[in-house]
Amino acid sequence: MTEQNNNNKIIIETKALNKYFYEPEKFQVLKNINLQIFKGEFCSIVGASGSGKSTLLYLLSTLDTDYDGEIWMDGMNLREKSKNQLAEIRNEKIGFVFQFHYLLPEFTVLDNVKLPAIKLGKLSEEEIETKAYEKLEILGLRDQALKRANKLSGGQQQRVAIARALINDPQILFGDEPTGNLDSKNSQLVLAILKELKQQFHQTILIVTHDMLFAGNTDRMISFKDGEVEEDKYL
Amino acid sequence: MTFLKKIIQRTPTLRIAFTHLLGKRRQTLVAMLGVTFGIAVFIFQAGLITGFQTVFIEKTVNTTANIHIYNEAEKNRKSLFEKFDANNNDWVVVYSQKPKDEDPKIKAASEIMKDIERHPLVSGVSPFLGGQAIFRNGISQRAGRIAGIDIRREDQLFNVAQYMKQGDMLKLETTANGVILGSGLADDLGAKLNDKITVISPQGVSLDLTVIGIHESGLVEVDKSRAFVKISTAQKLLNVSGDYITDINIKLNNIDAAEALAKEFEHKYGYRAQDWKEANASIFSVFKVQNMVTYLVIISILIVSGFGIFNIQMMIIYEKLGDIAILKAIGYKDKDIRKIFLTESIVIGIIGGIFGLLLGYVVTLIVGSIPLDVRGFVAIKYLTFNREPIFFIMAFVFGLVATSVAGYLPARKAAKVDPVDIIRGK
Ligand SMILES: Nc1ncnc2c1ncn2[C@@H]1O[C@H](COP(=O)(O)OP(=O)(O)OP(=O)(O)O)[C@@H](O)[C@H]1O
Ligand SMILES: [Mg+2]
Repeated sequence: MTEQNNNNKIIIETKALNKYFYEPEKFQVLKNINLQIFKGEFCSIVGASGSGKSTLLYLLSTLDTDYDGEIWMDGMNLREKSKNQLAEIRNEKIGFVFQFHYLLPEFTVLDNVKLPAIKLGKLSEEEIETKAYEKLEILGLRDQALKRANKLSGGQQQRVAIARALINDPQILFGDEPTGNLDSKNSQLVLAILKELKQQFHQTILIVTHDMLFAGNTDRMISFKDGEVEEDKYL
Repeated sequence: MTFLKKIIQRTPTLRIAFTHLLGKRRQTLVAMLGVTFGIAVFIFQAGLITGFQTVFIEKTVNTTANIHIYNEAEKNRKSLFEKFDANNNDWVVVYSQKPKDEDPKIKAASEIMKDIERHPLVSGVSPFLGGQAIFRNGISQRAGRIAGIDIRREDQLFNVAQYMKQGDMLKLETTANGVILGSGLADDLGAKLNDKITVISPQGVSLDLTVIGIHESGLVEVDKSRAFVKISTAQKLLNVSGDYITDINIKLNNIDAAEALAKEFEHKYGYRAQDWKEANASIFSVFKVQNMVTYLVIISILIVSGFGIFNIQMMIIYEKLGDIAILKAIGYKDKDIRKIFLTESIVIGIIGGIFGLLLGYVVTLIVGSIPLDVRGFVAIKYLTFNREPIFFIMAFVFGLVATSVAGYLPARKAAKVDPVDIIRGK
């Protein structure tokens, strides 16, 4: 950790986080992870395949609740939260983009983006729609809003997924190799958009990637090796 | 309709449910048809059985006296030895004990009848003298039952006039040796109105009677054997004195009072008094079994339609694991997921059910209008369906319960899907 972030707010923090898999045999995937992600950071996680990067993201995003140690998010110990409360936290405070664009294929782009906001239920129908258009605008997809999601290209779909992840203005945006499935042109587009999100909207972002060029463009790079943090440096 | 559409549009879980169903149109249709068929069979089967039972009960109750008083022959008579030696513990064995020819006569019948008639709940009393006889018309010969009656009183109790197929029943009073034959008995004998037939009783009396009417109660067995004659004719045939009768039939203002009143009369006059419910107890118990079988059939069909729903739901879930994972990842709770899939089953149930009600109704109308001449227990020209609203409500509710139960298991499975497994697996 460097000085520059010391007085910043911690969005997410792990304390002595350990994770085991028991099938086919007991195996420690994550070993004593102590991480702090600060507000407004654009952070990348790199590491060899199988080093536990995805596993860490699933834990941080509350999808996986089977771990030792502690995960704190926005001042809350996640272990103390019930399943339903975790769902609410995911809905309100977390955005997640996967390697494969998980959209509801039969729904329009706009409806896909609106989905988490409708679930949250804090805004009116009209406000949600306005906001969805705003997010689509940022991702350059405003004109695609009324198309069915499965009619879009892979790169467009991935950007729709980002718009959907942003609709509730989450505390943190997670991405598990969001560009892993895209060609270099689309990868660069996504990278540019994420950078803009950080710069313009101070969005906290944590992205797992294999792409060193991508990682080199972020603020902070955390390297994983065999379930341990090998290196954690600001760029 | 547009209102409904708006609600669906605005409720993602509903929209997702409908999207799933529309994405699998053919399977959805098959599942709906399963429910439709199940409910139609429910309406048809239950309507048919209870419709039949209603007709049967009406006919039977109309031909059964509200209270029937008779002299019950003592069965398993104790031997004289046993009677007199009751307290002795010695073994007494009497071989070849035969039932004595007990006299079923009701003594002082006319006094009893007058007394009963005075009872405020009683609206009619009819005397009866019954016996076996052989009926002969030329070379055809049938065994039957002589029913010696007072035709006016009998009509008051059992609507004889309404069921007269031919002839005028009141001629029984004016004709010296008249007889009203049951329609089946008349057919079997080949006897027509105004024919003369010969009746021979077990007592050896033979009389020539004139057929003055043909009667059809609708109860096939009764119509095949019964012949109404005047009481005096019956007395002649059975070779008994002029005040001899064996039964008194009673009609009440309120048939629900029958049971209590029967007890009262039995106690008062010392003869067996049976109310109509008791007399028809065996029929009611047959109906109970019949109903049970019907409901078993219906339940099995609904279970089968349940399998259809279970099947399509499992298919949709496996195909939509990705959707389930995303929804969970963006904050949908287990119960939201369960709701989506349960909604699908219920929608299938409701739509399939509505068509089932319509189909069932139409089929009962069609089948009920096909003329048939069935002669089983009762003679019927058309099948009578019971189309009480309660059946339609019950069928619909049962259908919904079946589809909800069938849909619940897949829905629970969907709710339990672990998104991490799915996201990793892709
Ligand atoms: N459900 C599971 N059961 C058992 N082992 C698992 C399970 N999921 C992952 N693993 C193992 O845990 C280790 C870490 O997996 P993880 O997916 O976190 O790696 P990763 O760093 O994301 O790799 P990649 O870069 O290939 O995506 C791997 O060895 C993997 O085989
Ligand atoms: Mg991974």
